[in-house]
Amino acid sequence: MSRTGSLSKLALLVAAGGVPLAQNTYYTTFAFTILVAFVLAQSWDWVAGEMGYVNLGHYAFYGIGAYAFAIALVGKYPTGLAMVFALLVTGLAAALLAVPLFRLKGDYFAFGTLALLPLAEVLALNLVPITNGSDGIVLPPENVLTRAYFIALAVCVVTVLVSARLAHNRFGYALKSIRNDEEVAEVMGVRIFPAKLAVIVLAAAFAGVAGAIQAWQMSFIDPGTVFGLNVALVPVAMALLGGSGLLWGPLVGVLLLATMQQWLLVNVKGYQATIYGTVILLIGRFMPGGLLRAGWVRRLGLLRGLTQEHHERITGAQSAGLHSAGAQSPTVCVEGMRTLPLVPRKTDRSRVLLECREVTMAFGGNVAVDRVNLKIMEGEIVGLVGANGSGKTTLFNCISKVHEPRSGGIFIDGVVLAGMRRDQVAHLGVGRTYQIPRPFGDLTVQENIAVPLMFGAERIKPREALAQAREFVAYAELESRMTDRADALSLQEKKALEFARALACKPRVLLVDEVASGLTPAEIRRFVGHIRDMRDRYGLTVIWVEHIFSALAQVVDRVVVLEQGTLIADGTLDEVVADERVLRTYLGGATLKAAAHA
Amino acid sequence: MSIEALVQVLIGGILLGGLYALVAFGLSLIYGVVRILNFSHGTLLAVAGVAASLLYAAFKLHPVVIMLVLVPALFVFGYFFYTVLLQPLEKRNHFESTVGTVLVTVGALLILSDLTAKLAGATQRNIPLRFEAIEIGEIVISTTQIWIFGAIAVLTVAMQVFLRRTWFGRAIRAVTQDPVGARICGVNSSRMKAATFAFGSSIVAIAAVLYTMSFPVDPYMGFGLTVKAFTIIILGGIGNLVGALLAGIFLGVAEGLTGFFWKSEWAPALSVILLLGILVVFPKGLGRSR
Repeated sequence: MSRTGSLSKLALLVAAGGVPLAQNTYYTTFAFTILVAFVLAQSWDWVAGEMGYVNLGHYAFYGIGAYAFAIALVGKYPTGLAMVFALLVTGLAAALLAVPLFRLKGDYFAFGTLALLPLAEVLALNLVPITNGSDGIVLPPENVLTRAYFIALAVCVVTVLVSARLAHNRFGYALKSIRNDEEVAEVMGVRIFPAKLAVIVLAAAFAGVAGAIQAWQMSFIDPGTVFGLNVALVPVAMALLGGSGLLWGPLVGVLLLATMQQWLLVNVKGYQATIYGTVILLIGRFMPGGLLRAGWVRRLGLLRGLTQEHHERITGAQSAGLHSAGAQSPTVCVEGMRTLPLVPRKTDRSRVLLECREVTMAFGGNVAVDRVNLKIMEGEIVGLVGANGSGKTTLFNCISKVHEPRSGGIFIDGVVLAGMRRDQVAHLGVGRTYQIPRPFGDLTVQENIAVPLMFGAERIKPREALAQAREFVAYAELESRMTDRADALSLQEKKALEFARALACKPRVLLVDEVASGLTPAEIRRFVGHIRDMRDRYGLTVIWVEHIFSALAQVVDRVVVLEQGTLIADGTLDEVVADERVLRTYLGGATLKAAAHA
Repeated sequence: MSIEALVQVLIGGILLGGLYALVAFGLSLIYGVVRILNFSHGTLLAVAGVAASLLYAAFKLHPVVIMLVLVPALFVFGYFFYTVLLQPLEKRNHFESTVGTVLVTVGALLILSDLTAKLAGATQRNIPLRFEAIEIGEIVISTTQIWIFGAIAVLTVAMQVFLRRTWFGRAIRAVTQDPVGARICGVNSSRMKAATFAFGSSIVAIAAVLYTMSFPVDPYMGFGLTVKAFTIIILGGIGNLVGALLAGIFLGVAEGLTGFFWKSEWAPALSVILLLGILVVFPKGLGRSR
């Protein structure tokens, strides 16, 4: 679907190539404006629609590109070289700004980036020797409209191709996972900062080239025209008007708003900024999701292809392949449990796989984990129990690097985790679930599982990852929900998805955080079977936090008990159940009596 | 470059910083409770400042009377701006409500400044009301400045007392810290949000009159002020008034010194550079939020 989408877009652009043939300067200039606006709006949407960061200062990169180009051209460099210079300068500026800006999230990020515009304007006004201040820069007079038009057209073609790639390649999935949940993305093996840096540099470079072409065509720039607040938000409004994150959204928005802008220019004198402001305000108030997401537009059969969301396109593409794959390989296994594409590991019970030495974690003065010493042997299933607030999840968070422990060391197979990033720990072989499920909400069930597969220690292509993901989906018994968005699942389905996604990290040690709570007895039995299967068939080591003691009892080799952050018992099930401290603090008096009766 | 001139610059900087802090108070309260960054907050000051100067020019009203006119006007404006344009967006998903509120407040910024410029002219205005000057050696302090200092101090204390001692103030702090918890304890959060938005906007009216008495205002200066107020919040901590006052004075003095030792054209860039610098060194901001 997306392939035909980008093909029809490219066809549209080829048709646009005919505009200058009409030899009408007015129409050519108008079409040129649309092309430049499209590059800006679409490149903005790579950061916003794909990654979920609203960069309101995108236009600053356009301005920087325009200035870099103009300065180089006035300095008598050839046009092509000046364009390359503009591209490099904007890319570099974006890379430098990315460090402080990505410290911000949500509307803070929007604000910080918007502040770039006044900063750039002050710089352009005051760095007179370079920028000529408020007088602006006049380029050598030359009629370049036709040439500029075809360069803009070429840049548009590249923009469409990049967008089409981003919808499905691994980089695009890194951005999509960041959009949904940065912490989880990192725990699933995605390297966050390089992806963010790359996408903002990419978007800035396109904006910079757009600015350069525009400066070339206008042959004049000054601070107000390239950094002014009222012009700067127009591309943002265009992308949002069409529909951010939709393949066709920015293009539709650009066509509509640019046409309106042109009409205003001709028919209304004065009050331009008021009208822009009103349009921006109304888009924000009534359709921040975009025109293509509005109910009445989606109901128009004619526009079906334009309004498709990412997950709907996936649905279309996958369901076609689903039947054939199902027919070829029945993956049902002897015990009624499906097999997984995991390589069984040979386990050595005398080998320490995970070790915590004096691990301490505190939040302010509240010590959540207090000098915990723990050794987990390869191929063991260890139950981790304790009252609520005893530090079980915090210990998991320390192991998966969601928290950096205040002191002490954690080792996986002898490798110390100190100083490692979450994705590196994931690649060492730590997979985890979250107590409150945190799936990537706007991706499909299949894509959710494909993300850790794509970004595992051995990286595989998205196509293969999606194919492999099916087997995990089948294992989690979610086949009927495979192409549904993860946020449409019920809580139990989300938990099953979390478990399957953790397995898709292909871990050596699996951290399971209260997956069984809320399941029916039959479901618990099945889940216990899964856990046992992990150890016996695939050689995984499992640490299982669970309050349903009867479930743990069926499968654990060892039980570890935490109480107020300290480890109070560590032994076989029988030993721990007989331990008086455990009975008193965790299992409670009733069990104590039951034990006495027995 | 005499010491007296430097002291003069410092006094001007403290005054300006105090006014920045007043703008930041409103933005900070609104952000704390409503979780919306109002991009048009500073523009409200520009509009109210222009209105104040017109009122003074037309009727020679006393600044306090002008405040009494503008405070309720901005309160009503803030209330309806929030309830009509922003509150309905809360029902949407996270991305849509974020971009929606950004677009609505940025759109309001553009409309407010453009309409003001069209209706009242884009020129700089002020309230040319001058009390007599006091001279201490070479240093000249106008009584106006002393009045403004006094007003800022009284307002900060009053706000602090309001937040700590009154029901509404406590409710604001409760919602800032934990919206769900506050709702469970019986704070009607949607009415609270509208009231806080209106209240935060109305403080701007006081700041606007004081500002216009000592510095010129124009319709397009608003966003620069919003950036400064935002920097102050990051420096001082969300909902932390004393922190905001100190951060505001720091920024005002720093801008004054930039002009004194270098060129005043660079002063507007200072807050943005400061903001980016803080973010590199202290990713979570400096102040503790209260």
